[in-house]
Amino acid sequence: MLEAISLTKRYEDGELALDGLTFKVEPGEIFCMFGANGAGKTTTINLFLNFIPPTSGTALIEGVDVAKDPLKAKRHVSFVSENVMLYGNFTAVQNLDYFSRLAGKRNLTKKDYGAVLEQVGLQKEAFDRRVKNFSKGMRQKLGIAIAVVKDAANVLLDEPTSGLDPQSGREFLEILVQMRDKGKSVFMSTHDIFRAKLIADRIGFMRKGRLVMMKTAKELAHEDLTDLYIQYMEEQPGQPAPTAAPSA
Amino acid sequence: MLRDIIKKEILDNITSPKFVFTFLLCTILILLSIYTGVTNYRAEKKEYTAALALNKKNMESQPNYQSLAGIGIKISKPPQVLGTVVTGIEEAVGRVAPVNIAADPNLIDSKYSSNPVFAVFGSLDLMFIVKIVLSLFAILFTYDAIVGEKEKGTLKLALSNDVPRDRLILGKAIGGYISLLLPLLIPLVLGLLILLITPDISLSGQDWARLLLIFLLFFLYLSVFFSLGLFVSARTSRSSTSFLVLLFVWVVFVMVIPKVAVITAGQIRPIPSVHEITAKKDAFLQQIQSEGQKGVIEWSKKNAADAQKDVKAYQEKFRKFIQDYQQELTSKIDENNAALERDYQQKKRAQQSLAVNLSRISPASALTFGSMTLARTGIDDFDRFLASVRAYKPIYTKWINSKLGQSINFQTGETIQIKIDDMPQHIYEPQWLSQSLVRTIPDFALLAVMIIVFFVGAYVSFLRYDVR
Ligand SMILES: Nc1ncnc2c1ncn2[C@@H]1O[C@H](COP(=O)(O)OP(=O)(O)O)[C@@H](O)[C@H]1O
Ligand SMILES: [Mg+2]
Repeated sequence: MLEAISLTKRYEDGELALDGLTFKVEPGEIFCMFGANGAGKTTTINLFLNFIPPTSGTALIEGVDVAKDPLKAKRHVSFVSENVMLYGNFTAVQNLDYFSRLAGKRNLTKKDYGAVLEQVGLQKEAFDRRVKNFSKGMRQKLGIAIAVVKDAANVLLDEPTSGLDPQSGREFLEILVQMRDKGKSVFMSTHDIFRAKLIADRIGFMRKGRLVMMKTAKELAHEDLTDLYIQYMEEQPGQPAPTAAPSA
Repeated sequence: MLRDIIKKEILDNITSPKFVFTFLLCTILILLSIYTGVTNYRAEKKEYTAALALNKKNMESQPNYQSLAGIGIKISKPPQVLGTVVTGIEEAVGRVAPVNIAADPNLIDSKYSSNPVFAVFGSLDLMFIVKIVLSLFAILFTYDAIVGEKEKGTLKLALSNDVPRDRLILGKAIGGYISLLLPLLIPLVLGLLILLITPDISLSGQDWARLLLIFLLFFLYLSVFFSLGLFVSARTSRSSTSFLVLLFVWVVFVMVIPKVAVITAGQIRPIPSVHEITAKKDAFLQQIQSEGQKGVIEWSKKNAADAQKDVKAYQEKFRKFIQDYQQELTSKIDENNAALERDYQQKKRAQQSLAVNLSRISPASALTFGSMTLARTGIDDFDRFLASVRAYKPIYTKWINSKLGQSINFQTGETIQIKIDDMPQHIYEPQWLSQSLVRTIPDFALLAVMIIVFFVGAYVSFLRYDVR
């Protein structure tokens, strides 16, 4: 389970990137967070991974305070970043092998890696090719494979679908659904309204570091997400950003 | 986990193009330098042996002691076998010191003066390769060690696991160091083999110990740049910045500090020029010579009466007088020269040690001085050799003067055949290992301190490094 309790982050330059963010992602739930560029999505994920300290508030992974015991917390989380280059001199399998070992999975065989890479939709010829020449989408798939192998109870994804072709996008959604079915808590920041609507159990809208709206899939079933997106994301002059009452 | 990180670091390095490039260049340069070192040493040794024989033959073929005294004796400095890896100042300083009654001995006929083209390019010894080229490689292997992983996003990915940061930097340091050593060790071992199998080169136990210490110094020096590279790469957020900073520091360490130290020491502790000293010596020599002529005339005047009485006794007395007087005058010259020399040497040493100590802030200087001392090709060793020649000069002068005195036969005007078997020999004892070690302790210590400081700096910086 992922939980943010009035998470606030003010950067050294005074920029208030997160302002009392509170939400929860239950086991077996996919939570999609929308927000324009600079809304604070990456900051949120960085706080969950202890890459930066919170100004105030708490991020909890499986009930463990990330800032207090980061190593223990990180044991329970997989991470797919926005844009990871990986080790260019290594093949896909070598990259996967190294990160699996760091994640504590050391008994995997080449066959296991092959199965995962196939699952994320990487073409077979690429398994043993150097990552240096991979396209962004191929690297993204490899990044997802690394998260899949770790098999942690919580998954953080930062705009993972950017760079994926439609076919790969669908395969990716399948993987997320499988994760949910295994009881994982999935937190994904994204701009991809259509794909999110297909799988999200809950959707949050962020603006200027605040959660301005949060709705369940059921509540959204008959709404046009694009309209909502524009409604909540557009700057409303003179009016403070609306605050959502945390549901669920 | 540490093992995985080390393994990955090595694999990442050796699969990179820079590794192949480094490996090739290292092999070529190291082998080339050892080959030229060996060739030079063999040539020097041959020349040395030939010079000794020639000098002996030349002396033996002199018709009498007068002409023997005229040519004097030439003392050659034996080449040092470890000059094959650390040439030091061997090529710049003279190899021969002529000793005769009048002049103060000095080393002349350096390789550079006899063939200036050598001076243009300097020597390509192993120490130079380590100092200039391999230190750059150490930077090349580390400048992006941390900042590069940040740029690739792999640092974030790695630290999204329960990997302690200290483990990660330790693994990267160990793995990176091993990958730097790999392209070095193979050519170095090959180079040692060359030293082993070359016929004219025989290394004594002490030489091996010195060689190992020199290699230790090399590795410490490279470790300084390695840990410096880690440090800078853990303090920058772009690898291009890291590289520029490191290049700048390298230039300051290797090029600027040693030169500035020498210039500064010259300003703070000036020494009289060689010309000044020579002029003083010459002036005194002239003074003594005219004094000597006067002395002889006075003696003749005083003893003119005796000459009429008993010619034979007079001649005997004159011979005795000349012999003693000559000895007296030469020892006066020697004393004066020695005093001037002592003063000059003292000032020079003060300046030198100031320059050495100032420059020691730079690891390149510590490497240079330390390895030269260990190879016995440094300034100390030449001072020591020259001192031994200067100590020998009065011994030689005494011997040749006594021979000169005995050789004058006033009756016949004949001169007796020369015999040089009983001529005192010049003895040079090079520095012992223990002495060299004591002299190099500061160099070892300074390098070790720099490694620790830079590594701790890298470690602490990485614990707080912004991985985003
Ligand atoms: N290191 C930083 N220092 C100062 N401000 C930052 C830093 N990183 C991000 N910000 C600011 O914080 C806000 C949120 O950024 P971010 O979390 O990256 O947004 P998103 O991922 O939603 O696009 C932005 O206004 C951004 O300019
Ligand atoms: Mg972002």
